[in-house]
Amino acid sequence: MGVRALTQEWMDAYKAAIQADPEYKDIAKNWEGSVALVVLPDPAKGIPETVYLFQDYWHGDVGEFVVCDKDKAESAKFVMTGEYARWKQIARKELDATKALLQGKLKMKGDLPYVVRNIKTVNKVIDILGAFETIWPDEV
Amino acid sequence: MGYDEDLSFNYFGPTKIVFGIDSSKDVEIEMNSLGGTRAVVVTDKGIIAAGLIEGITKTLGSKCVGVFSDIPQDTGVDVVDKGAAFARENKANIVISVGGGSVIDTAKGMCILLTEGGNLRDFNGIQLLNRLQTPHIVIPTTAGTGSEVTNAAVIMDKEMGQKRLLVENFNVPRLAILDPKMTEKLPRLLTAGTGMDAMTHAVEALHSIPHEPITDALAIHAIRLLAKYLPVCIENGSDLVARGQAQIAATIAGWAFGNAMVGIVHAMAHSIGAIAHVPHGIANGILLAECMDYNLEEAADGYAMVAEAFGLREKGMDDMDAARAAVHAMRVFSKTIGHPQRLSEMGVKEQDIEKAAELSLSDGSIVNNPRFVLESSEVLDIFRKVL
Repeated sequence: MGVRALTQEWMDAYKAAIQADPEYKDIAKNWEGSVALVVLPDPAKGIPETVYLFQDYWHGDVGEFVVCDKDKAESAKFVMTGEYARWKQIARKELDATKALLQGKLKMKGDLPYVVRNIKTVNKVIDILGAFETIWPDEV
Repeated sequence: MGYDEDLSFNYFGPTKIVFGIDSSKDVEIEMNSLGGTRAVVVTDKGIIAAGLIEGITKTLGSKCVGVFSDIPQDTGVDVVDKGAAFARENKANIVISVGGGSVIDTAKGMCILLTEGGNLRDFNGIQLLNRLQTPHIVIPTTAGTGSEVTNAAVIMDKEMGQKRLLVENFNVPRLAILDPKMTEKLPRLLTAGTGMDAMTHAVEALHSIPHEPITDALAIHAIRLLAKYLPVCIENGSDLVARGQAQIAATIAGWAFGNAMVGIVHAMAHSIGAIAHVPHGIANGILLAECMDYNLEEAADGYAMVAEAFGLREKGMDDMDAARAAVHAMRVFSKTIGHPQRLSEMGVKEQDIEKAAELSLSDGSIVNNPRFVLESSEVLDIFRKVL
C-alpha cells in the first residue's frame, strides 16, 4: 500500500526512507541546509493549490520534513519550484533533475555552486524517492 | 554513433541571425523591428579605441541614449549593477552589446535588472525568471564566445571568489548581427584564443552528457569551419570570407553548447580565470586536448566525430582510434595557429592551480562532463600537465 504524494504522510515516509538508506549518511556528510520543494497548482491533476514542502538536511542527518506554508518554504536555503507533472517525472526518474534545471523545467533559488559541489547528495535524495510506493493524485 | 532508446531533449535557439559584410549598418532597422526606441550601447574601451563603435552610434542617431564602456576583461557583478543603473538613468528600452564575451554577458545581466529591478546579487539561482527580459541585440567583435545565442552568462562575483553562472531562458538575446568587418582587426592572439573558445564549445557539446543529434550536427559543422578557416584568419586577418565563416562557426557552436552544455574544460577555465585572470578562450584552448585525453574512455564516440570533422577518420578506424587521432589533431591545430600551450605562459603558478582545482568541482559546467569527476586531485593532475 503506497502513500499519497505531497502529503505529510508522504513526507514522513520519505524521511524514513532517507534515514534507512545505508549510503545516505556518508554521501550527505557535507550538506548543510534546508530545501523547499514548491509544486505549482494543477487542478486537473488533483493539485488545486500550490503545495509547499520543507525538508531540513544537516550533515547526513534529516530534520524537519513537513508540508508547510509559503513563508516557511521561502525561508529555506534552496527553493525549487516546478509544475506537478515535472516533479512527478523527476520522482519517477523519467526526468533528470540537473537537466530539468538547465532547461528551465524547474527553477531554483539558492547557491548553484553549492549544489554542484554536492551533486551526489542531491542525486541520492532523488534516488531514494523510488524506495517507497507513491500514489500520485492524478492516478487515484 | 548512436543515441539511447530513451533519447529525449529540448532544443532551444530563439535568436534571429543577420549575417553579412556591413550588416551592422542594419542595427537601427533591426532595433525598430524589436520595438526599441531608446538604445544603450554596451561595449568596452578597446572596442571604442579600435573604432568599431562610431559606425553603430552614427547609424542609431538620436535613438542611442548612451554608451556604457566601463567593462573589464572579466566582467563582474558590480559592473553589471553600474551598467544597469546607467541604462535606467537614460531610460533605455533596448540593449545593444558590441564586443566579446565579457561585454555580451554584462549586457545580459543589465537586461535582467532593467526588467526586474534590483541588483544582480538578488538573482541567486537558476531559471528564476518568468517573463521575457529587455530586448538585447548582440554585435560580436570576436568569433568565439557564442554568447550571442545562449541563455547563459558568466559573471565574476568577487565576494564569492568565483564566476557566477546565470542561466535564464527568458534572457536569450533576440538578435545577433554577424558582420565579418567587426572582427577584421582582431589581433592574432585574440583571434587564436577566441577561435579556440569556439572550438572548445563545439568539442564539449559533443562529449557532454546531454548531447543530442541537433547539437551534434551543429558542433560537427562548427569544427569543420574552424579547422578550415581559423588558420586563414590567423594568416590573413583581412580575409573577410574566413572571418565570416569563423563567426558563423562560433555562433553555431554557441547553439550547440547552449543546449548540450559544456564540461570539465569550462569548469577548469572558469576557475583558473577567476583565480589567475587567464582570458577565458585561452584557458579553454590550453586545457582542451588534455581534458579530451582525460575523458577519452567515456567520450570516444564524441571525439570520433571530432576526428570526422577534421577529416581524419580513415576507413576501418574504430571510435577509440579516431578519438586518439582527434586528441592529437587538437594539439597540433592549437600549435599551428600560434595558440599558447601552457598556463605558465599566462603567469599561472602552482598555488593558483591548487585553488582552481578545488573551485572547479563547484562549477556548474562539471556536472555535464562525460567522466564523473570525484576528486579535485584529478583536476589538479590535468592542470599540472599544462602548467
